[in-house]
Order: sequence, then structure tokens, then C-alpha cells
Amino acid sequence: MKQLSIVDLSGAIVVVALLALAPVLLNSNYFTGVLTVCVIYAIWAASWDFMSGLTGRENFGHSLFIGAGAYTAGFLATVWYANPWYSLPTAVVVAVAFSLIVGFPTLRLRGPYFALAMLSASAIMQRLCLIFWEYSGGEEGLYGLDPLIQSPLHYYWFVLAILVAAVAILTALAQSHWGLLLRAIRGDEATCQAAGINVTFYKIASLTISAAFAGLGGALYAHYQLQVSPPLFSVVVSITVIIMVYVGGIGSIYGPALGAIMLTLLTELLRTFGEYRLWVYTLTLMLILFFLPNGLIAPLWRRLTERFR
Amino acid sequence: MSAILEVKDLSKRFGGLTATKNVSFSLESGELTGILGPNGAGKTTLFNLLTGFIAADSGSVLFEGQELRGLAPHKIVNRGVARTFQLTRPFLGMTVLENVVVACLSPRARDAHDKEARAQELLDHVGLGSKAREPVETLPYGDLRRLEIARALATQPNLLLLDEPFAGLGSSEIEPLAQLIKRLHREQKLTILLIEHKLREFMALVSRVIAIDFGEIIAIAPPAEIVRNPRVIEAYIGKTEAAHASA
Ligand SMILES: Nc1ncnc2c1ncn2[C@@H]1O[C@H](COP(=O)(O)OP(=O)(O)O)[C@@H](O)[C@H]1O
Ligand SMILES: [Mg+2]
Repeated sequence: MKQLSIVDLSGAIVVVALLALAPVLLNSNYFTGVLTVCVIYAIWAASWDFMSGLTGRENFGHSLFIGAGAYTAGFLATVWYANPWYSLPTAVVVAVAFSLIVGFPTLRLRGPYFALAMLSASAIMQRLCLIFWEYSGGEEGLYGLDPLIQSPLHYYWFVLAILVAAVAILTALAQSHWGLLLRAIRGDEATCQAAGINVTFYKIASLTISAAFAGLGGALYAHYQLQVSPPLFSVVVSITVIIMVYVGGIGSIYGPALGAIMLTLLTELLRTFGEYRLWVYTLTLMLILFFLPNGLIAPLWRRLTERFR
Repeated sequence: MSAILEVKDLSKRFGGLTATKNVSFSLESGELTGILGPNGAGKTTLFNLLTGFIAADSGSVLFEGQELRGLAPHKIVNRGVARTFQLTRPFLGMTVLENVVVACLSPRARDAHDKEARAQELLDHVGLGSKAREPVETLPYGDLRRLEIARALATQPNLLLLDEPFAGLGSSEIEPLAQLIKRLHREQKLTILLIEHKLREFMALVSRVIAIDFGEIIAIAPPAEIVRNPRVIEAYIGKTEAAHASA
């Protein structure tokens, strides 16, 4: 097991301090909102990385868990008028249930079944939202959710605290014997079995952990937007998260989290480019992934701090 | 002595090919037995059937009196049957030590509380102790074989299946590895079943040889007798002639 180095810990403290202070210094509600979305995407990217980055079983439908968490918050608020704080634990439970439904039949198989099942399940959920529009609000979704915390700045800090906790927990797990087993599964499932390891159990368990944090992030997003709609389940969300992971450096947890923050900020900054925005964004991504196939942030951090370890 | 493993009428077909045909044999506890057979005879398939990596069509595998057939591979390992692979399959991107720690995390190895210490002990035992911290990619082939054995031992087996441990090794590497296998057998009273397709290597090692050809057992005898067995000679000479003819 690796020890957390002083260098990594200092780096983490500086980054978190910067993130916490940025909205105070800029003092703009708009920017606080952008940062809130950045941090929620970071939770999604880190949670994707824990399962798929470590085991190598790529999940092309992370939006299933995100949407499940968000809609759970939506239903609780608009159908049951529940205390908004019930959203978070309930969203976690619902997302975990979804992960078991998809994970059980497909993660025992090898091949692309899991990736395809996740992709289809999220697409099906998006369709179901439209088909059962009486309950789900159809295209418009559900709105009228209450904020968890009134002040946007305080809500941002709350979401940031959850990100820090999520990254800390997932990193601790990734560096424990659990993480070693997940990396072994990525290496060679047959060798793992020959080593007496129940590969299916570890894959399903890591998917439920991944889903729990993704669902939590989904509910946090719902209480930020104060509404939920079918595109939360879309494959665009899943692919965006995967791109963030690759840019951040797959398998490192903190890299994908920072990659998500960087790319979400980039999207916002590019608004000044107007209609060329998508072109610039795509070109930037392609350049990063072409020249840095292992990603930008985690490899860069390792290079920079090599000498101090 | 009592039988630790009893295989009865085990069969497996791959499409039209019968890879294992009515194989029956038993192993006494503490025995060191060899499986001999030309390439493609079905030796690895037999190991895959015993360890659950491939499902048998019919027959039974009793280990310590309990049926193994139908169990998942990791469950069979946790009953006490460990194997190595003919083509070594290390976990790339990990250290040599981590490769063994993975197996120390199996339920059967739960008594070893400090997994790293236990893995180091096993590496010392197979002669890889000094390379524990190195990336596994740096190991030469002979060391990878030892690593396979250390990983198998980490699951505390009662029966160890070694699939061609000497294949691809130079003569200077074969002798020490044979010594290691002998030592495991003698000191730990481990029951060992070892595949080899060349006779010479294990004549001095095993007490009994099970000869296989085209998925069937053609003879079971001590090594000195097996080399005089007409069917074994035929299987080998036949193969040699065919090889010459096609060369
Ligand atoms: N999974 C499989 N699917 C189809 N055919 C197989 C499979 N495994 C082995 N075979 C075939 O079974 C025969 C025996 O193979 P194998 O057990 O590997 O032989 P050996 O280990 O004695 O060299 C070969 O003809 C091989 O091609
Ligand atoms: Mg073979």
C-alpha cells in the first residue's frame, strides 16, 4: 500500500483552498454557479474513474446513475414534497439499486456486454422519461425543487466538501488492497481467479460504489438547477464524463476530478467564441489526447513532483 | 495413504474435437505425479477442467471427497487446488510483490494478516526475494515461472497443478526449478501434479506418470516403465515421424 506523500497532500490543500476562495475573490453569483457545476462534474468523473479506470471495464452509461440520482431528488420534491435533505441518501440508494440491476447480469460476463448494457440502460431511461410523461414531466422534466442551502456560495462550499470527501474516500480505497485487486482485474481476470479472487464480486461492488457517488452528484445537481430533465440520462453526459477522465489521467481519481473542473471552466470561457465554441473545444481535446494519451493533469503532476518524492 | 483427488470419466468436446475422453485417475495425498503427452494431447484442457476454467461435459472430480465440477475457478482455488499457467500471466504494471499480494488476499489466505510480509516470505521461498520491489516487467522468463508458483502457493493449496513449468527454460534454469519443486513436495508435503511434454525433464522428479494422447489416458506407470510402454513409444515416435514428414 502506498503512503500519501506530503507533496500530494500539500498539492491537494492548495487546490482545495484555491477552489474554496475563488468565488469569494471573484464575488459573482454567475461564477459561483459555474464552479458548482464544475465540482459536480468532478464528482461524476472521479466516481466513473473508481470503477472503470481501475478495473478497465468501461462504463458508457454513467448518466444512468446521474439521472437516477437527479430524478430521485425531483420525485421526492414534486410528488412527495419531502424534506429536500432526504434527497441525498435516497438518491444514493436508488443509484446503487440501478447499478445492481445492470451489473449483476453483465459483469459476470467478459466482452463488451457491460459497456453496452450501461449505454442501453441509460438510453432506455431517457426514453421512459418521455413515454411516462405524466409522471416524469416529459421533455420539460420536473421543476420546483427546493434548494438544499439558500446561499449559492454556501451551497458551493457544501458541494466542494462532498467532492473532497468523495476523492479522499475513493483514493483511500484505490490505494488499499481493494484497489490492488481492481487493478489486478484490469490486468488479467483469469489470473485473478487462479489467485482465488472472486472477480465478479469485486467488479459489482466497485460499480455500486461508483454509482453511489454518481447518484449523489446527480441529486446535488438537481438541487442546484432546481429542476431535472431527460437529457441528464443522455449519452452526451456519459461521454463528457469519460473525456474528462481521460484528460485528467485515467485511474488516478484526483486527475479526472481536476480534468472535469478544467474542461467545464474551458466550456464556460469559450462562450466568448460564440458559434466557434464547439470547434475550439473539440480541437483542444484532440490536441491534448493526441499529444498526451495518458492525460494531462495526473501525469503532469507526477512529472512536476518526481524530485520531491 | 488416501486419495486426495479422484477423477472419474471426465470428458470434454470442443465441437468435433474430443479434447478429453473418459479420463479417470486418482492421486494419493503427498504424491508427485507427472502428466506426459505430446503437444495438443489435451493436458492443459485437463487442468482447465480440474480447476473450473472450462466446464466438463461429463464425469466427476472429487477433491478431498467433495465434488469440484460445476464450481467457479476461484471457489476451487479456495478449496485448496491451485494452478500455474503454461504461458505465464503476471499482472503487468505492478511490482513482483504486489503480484503475490493479490493471491494473499484470497479468502483461503485470510490467516496471513500482514499480506505484504506473507508475500515477501513466499518470494524468498521461491528465490525471488531480492526482486520483490521491481516492476514485474523486468523479470526474465525463468523468474516469471517462479512467480507463478509463489502466487499459487499464496493460496495455501493442498494440491498444486503445474502446467509445463520447464517450458522455454534453458538447462541452467531447469535444475534449480526442479530442486524448488522437490523441496515444496518434500518439506510441505504438497501433492503436486505436473505437466510436461518432454520425458527427460521429469524422469528424476516424479514417482508416477500419467501418459495422455488424443485426450485419452494411454498408460499410468512409474517413469522407468513408462519409457518402455509400447503405446507411449508409439505416441511419441508417431508424432516425431509426422513432424519429420511435415518438416
Ligand atoms: N478453449 C478451446 N476451444 C477449442 N479448442 C480447444 C480449446 N482448448 C484447447 N483446445 C484444443 O484441444 C486440444 C488439446 O489442447 P491442449 O489441452 O492445450 O493440449 P496440450 O496442453 O496437451 O498441448 C487441441 O487440439 C486444442 O486446439
Ligand atoms: Mg498445454
